[in-house]
Amino acid sequence: MKELFPKEHVMGFIGSLVLTLAALTVVMFKGMSNGVALTILIVTAAAQALVQLVLFMHIGETEDKKSLYITIIYSVLVGLITVFGTLLAMVWGYM
Amino acid sequence: MSKENKSVPLEYSTEENELKIFGFWVFLGAEILLFATLFSVYFALVDRTGSGPIGKELFELPPVLVETFVLLTSSFLIGLGVHAMRIGRTKAMIVFYILTLVLGAVFLGVEINEFLTYIHDGATIQTSAFMSSLMTLLGTHGAHVTFGLLWGSGILLQIKKRGLNAKTANKAFIFSLYWHFLDVVWIFIFSFVYLKGVL
Repeated sequence: MKELFPKEHVMGFIGSLVLTLAALTVVMFKGMSNGVALTILIVTAAAQALVQLVLFMHIGETEDKKSLYITIIYSVLVGLITVFGTLLAMVWGYM
Repeated sequence: MSKENKSVPLEYSTEENELKIFGFWVFLGAEILLFATLFSVYFALVDRTGSGPIGKELFELPPVLVETFVLLTSSFLIGLGVHAMRIGRTKAMIVFYILTLVLGAVFLGVEINEFLTYIHDGATIQTSAFMSSLMTLLGTHGAHVTFGLLWGSGILLQIKKRGLNAKTANKAFIFSLYWHFLDVVWIFIFSFVYLKGVL
């Protein structure tokens, strides 16, 4: 039975639960500034994504890991440019 | 099919298998961009609520928390399923995959109920730009989960019929990548739609 629950996965799961609770603090504590709250959300979400990618999806386990890292990092980069480019052009510019 | 390499897990054991897994990562890269554009639309339109409700009035955290923990657990379980597959415990693997799909169905049930509540409250996809972008983003994720349920069930049936071999193990592993990815997308929805929305 024990061999079915590898330490790495259990730790990853506990980690993702803790990160979810950490993200919840932004709504539990009133009077937190929006900047602090958003920073907490960005950090916990990014950490959650890394837990899934590294511990659960094993992105670094094969010889072609370099190509995988490049593919995913490039996609994330273009995604971030899309999101922040949109914010810059359509939201922040009118504030 | 090229010869099997015994030194790596079954799902990587042929060249075709390796290429399929690599190709799926490239597909996930495209999925990241799909969701990035949907998030961009949502962020641009989040304050355009017109005469409809704003996020703070609309969102209820308890069902969203249920969805989050259900999806996190199902992502953990499919990870255990892949591990069980690698140590040759096919029965345990199938149990983990079934539990994963059951939790996926629970998630979908809660999400559909949430949509019905919105519509019941008079907030439909036509109410405001905010509602349109919200429902497009949530709906695209929900449609992915729905497709995942069908896909995962199909793979389970195939494993039951043909047993675990290089081909079925490859499919089961690729499905686990898809499922973990949907969990990552949900975490971003949870953080930047719901939590940010009720701040």
